[in-house]
Amino acid sequence: MVKLTNYAMLLPGLISCLIFLIIPLAMIVSMSISTYATTSVPGSAAGALTFENYVKFFTSPQTPTILFNTFGMAFLTCFMVFIFAYPMAYILNFKIKSSIVKNYTLWFLTVPFLIDWTIRTVAWIPILGESGIINYILMSLRITSRPLTELLFTRYTLMIIWLQTYVLFMMFPITLALGRIDPDLIAAAKVLKAPPWRVFYDIIFKLSLPGVVCGFIFVFVSILGDFVTPGLWAGGLQTMGLSIAWYSGHFVWPYAAALSTILLAIALVVLYILLKVVDIKKLIYE
Amino acid sequence: MPMKLGEIVARLYLAFMIALVWLPIAFMIMLSFKTGGSVSFPIQGLTLDWYVAKPKGYEYISYISVLYDSAFWEALQNSALVSAAVGATTCLIVTATALALRHRVVGRDALFYLILLGFIVPGVSLGLGHVVMYKQLNLEFTFWSAVAVDVVFTVPFGLVLMMARFDPDLMLYEQAASVLKASPVNVFRRVTMPLVKWEILTAGVLGFVLSWSELVRTSFVMKGTGVLATYIFNQMQINPVTPKWYAAGTIIASVSFVGLILVGYIMSRTAK
Repeated sequence: MVKLTNYAMLLPGLISCLIFLIIPLAMIVSMSISTYATTSVPGSAAGALTFENYVKFFTSPQTPTILFNTFGMAFLTCFMVFIFAYPMAYILNFKIKSSIVKNYTLWFLTVPFLIDWTIRTVAWIPILGESGIINYILMSLRITSRPLTELLFTRYTLMIIWLQTYVLFMMFPITLALGRIDPDLIAAAKVLKAPPWRVFYDIIFKLSLPGVVCGFIFVFVSILGDFVTPGLWAGGLQTMGLSIAWYSGHFVWPYAAALSTILLAIALVVLYILLKVVDIKKLIYE
Repeated sequence: MPMKLGEIVARLYLAFMIALVWLPIAFMIMLSFKTGGSVSFPIQGLTLDWYVAKPKGYEYISYISVLYDSAFWEALQNSALVSAAVGATTCLIVTATALALRHRVVGRDALFYLILLGFIVPGVSLGLGHVVMYKQLNLEFTFWSAVAVDVVFTVPFGLVLMMARFDPDLMLYEQAASVLKASPVNVFRRVTMPLVKWEILTAGVLGFVLSWSELVRTSFVMKGTGVLATYIFNQMQINPVTPKWYAAGTIIASVSFVGLILVGYIMSRTAK
């Protein structure tokens, strides 16, 4: 007995999804499998079906490295962000009683996120740069004799910057999931003399999994789609995002489209497996 | 007492995380007041030149003070407009979708996953998709193309966060009201709206915030000066990093800080 108005209310979301999500993606997929002259402006002539872009990608000697960089970094960063974010969410939910402290913590964490993306990342130069504060400390303690240039342009820099950016994204959904746990469950377990780690693992952690998965999706996908931070700081590290940006910047759109399709496909497979294991709809309805 | 110790450790951890997130920001603020064009220590002298100095007319853009960088202010204005539009649109779509999705509509899961796809698609793929779409259909980029590309991924964010925070008994109240013969309009106005208005506002703020700091997707569809994120990113590609950009960052940080405090204040005042 669902009223018609409910369906009408779904229309704006549905239509905006179709126009601005499905059509662009369909165009990418179709462009990646048709024979356009690689450098001409696409749309001039409809091409025949071809898989040469995909063959080119999978036979390229760089491909394993690029895939490993992209997905290895994304998984590793996600895990690290999770390690840092989970205690924060836990503390905010169970350890801090005063709502003023909670709100101020959230404010303080949000402000850096509002600062422009590029400025926020170049703000690491005085810390990690050649004459930055870390090199200064290392040299005054005589641990190294010359400034380390490796601090600024490696995958570790990238991970630190991503940690700083995304810790909030991971924390937020976990906080939500923790907030939905019935306090009676925890109290009941305690009354029944469950050891603290079982209370934590069997009740708190397991019930917060939808939030963890949600946060994981936020962070994982943001990192996959980010070409800006690796471009600035990775010191030549090749990722899928960077390749896509490079090829589309040089108007080799069919190849960029093929790369995009592959990236999207792998992301979907990873998330499909994840959503099979944990039902994030629990966080939302039901 | 063990309770006390746990609380102290908890607070210390929060303080540590805030410090970690703020570490580069603190250096940015400090160095925005330094003389000389390099962004490193030591600080030889303090100056406000990066904020307000009158340009001599021959400097590169990295050496012109923020106040006189007209493109910066134009980009800031564009950013504010785009983000406000994204916030408002997100608000509307998320509210309508979230309220309707609570009911067992046909294809609920399908639609939910379709909307979720908006943030599952990596930013770079979506950006490229929009470029390709505009070129193939021979359309020009406008103000609204940036809004559209942002809305695709702010709506799923807002939807997930909003639905997770709905009062579990909201539907019961609505049913009670309609059983008592309240008209649908009245149910919405008198029951639903007061109970979800904070979630609606949160979705709007979230849309604004996400769009404000969005660069990957927006960089594909922006022309001209663009929004703040694309403007500064483009400048950084061709210009050196100078304290001027840190001054710009400090200004944005202060504005954001005041804005957040204001939003928080209004929310806490009216929530009572």
